[in-house]
Amino acid sequence: MSDKLEAYLEEISHFLSGRAERQEILSEIRSHIMEKAAEGPGEFGDAAVDRAIAAFGPARRVAERYLEDRPIIAPAYRRYLFRYTSFLFAIHAALTVLAVVFKKDFVIFPFLFMPKLGVIEALMYLPPAFLTDLGVVALVLYFITQSGKDIKLPWPKFAVDLDEVKPPKKGFWPSRIATAVGAIVMLAITDLALYLFARHGSIFFVNLDWHDPRPLFTPAAGRYVSLVVIAMFAASTMALLVKLITRSRWVDVASNAVSLALIGLLLRQPLHGLFAPEIAGRFSPRFATWIGYTILVTLLFIALMTTIELIKGIVVISRRKLAAKAR
Amino acid sequence: MSDKALEIGSLETEMNRGFLHILALALLEKDMYGYAMVKHIEGLGYKVEENTLYPLLRRLEKNGWIASKWDLSEDRPRKFYAITAEGRALRAALLDVWKNQNRVLEETVKETAHV
Repeated sequence: MSDKLEAYLEEISHFLSGRAERQEILSEIRSHIMEKAAEGPGEFGDAAVDRAIAAFGPARRVAERYLEDRPIIAPAYRRYLFRYTSFLFAIHAALTVLAVVFKKDFVIFPFLFMPKLGVIEALMYLPPAFLTDLGVVALVLYFITQSGKDIKLPWPKFAVDLDEVKPPKKGFWPSRIATAVGAIVMLAITDLALYLFARHGSIFFVNLDWHDPRPLFTPAAGRYVSLVVIAMFAASTMALLVKLITRSRWVDVASNAVSLALIGLLLRQPLHGLFAPEIAGRFSPRFATWIGYTILVTLLFIALMTTIELIKGIVVISRRKLAAKAR
Repeated sequence: MSDKALEIGSLETEMNRGFLHILALALLEKDMYGYAMVKHIEGLGYKVEENTLYPLLRRLEKNGWIASKWDLSEDRPRKFYAITAEGRALRAALLDVWKNQNRVLEETVKETAHV
């Protein structure tokens, strides 16, 4: 018998792995191909078998015909995969930010253990956390699908809807001009910040005297915070410049990821001893604490908004890909 | 292949799902093996994708609408299929559905032809 037929059946068998009736299916296909090869034009032989195999179709397609009635995740639940993963990951990301800020472990037994993390560790932790969330949601949807029950799942909404999957409505030139203006403005701000930093070691001042500026923060804190903020300006400028070339959502995703990392670095700056002595001396201790918390809450709010934008970007990209596949 | 041909092909596959169920149940009033069914359908001027027929026969058998047995008496083993009593009842019901669909479609086409 043709080696090619055996290889073909072996390949189909591989794709049908786990089905009890696999051998029966392979016998049916073998019978059909031998039958067709014997009746086809020309002599019965390897060439005739090859022709019959080609007519029957690629092994993967053949196997899929048998598997159509058993999807891993039912089509109706597929859109829940990314929605639920996004929701779960948003909680995960928020807890990660809290773990970094408060330098504490979080345990919600048996669902979550969030160890005390530094900024770099948190950045290393988030991608595997996303994959874990995706896996958990996929597993739950798999079990629901395999149960065969018609379960109505809740649909959490957080500003990612079909409209956002559509390409932006703005015309080519208006959006490019707006991006170009934004890039020029950001480039000017970044250059000014770099100039101030090179000249005074900080970009935060309490007066507008060009020749004798009084710094807002202590020299060490001013240097650190200024560098992070300049990096944020530079990242935004870079994103806008790249957007002049491509409208890919990946630019926003990358830009938001970098911003999130930089906000994380800002959150590492201790609030105690942040302000320059002459500024701190004007505040009562209670007022200084209040300012400290206001800065912290503002940064956390920005981090939350950036995280939401980041997740939205990833979801929109995934949904666009799914929509393109479905077409 | 053009986009239009691809589109028709994909829609035809959709339409074939129901049609092939009725056709297989109608053909199997007489015992037949898979390849003979394909040849018979081709002889009637209709092309059926070979790799579609066998999974369909498997589903029909799983639901008890047809039964099968291997014939090992010839040089090549052949799996023969035959309709069951439940299959006959299903065929009658599906034919009624198909006739009604056909009537509705013909009447609609007739009506719209005069618009």
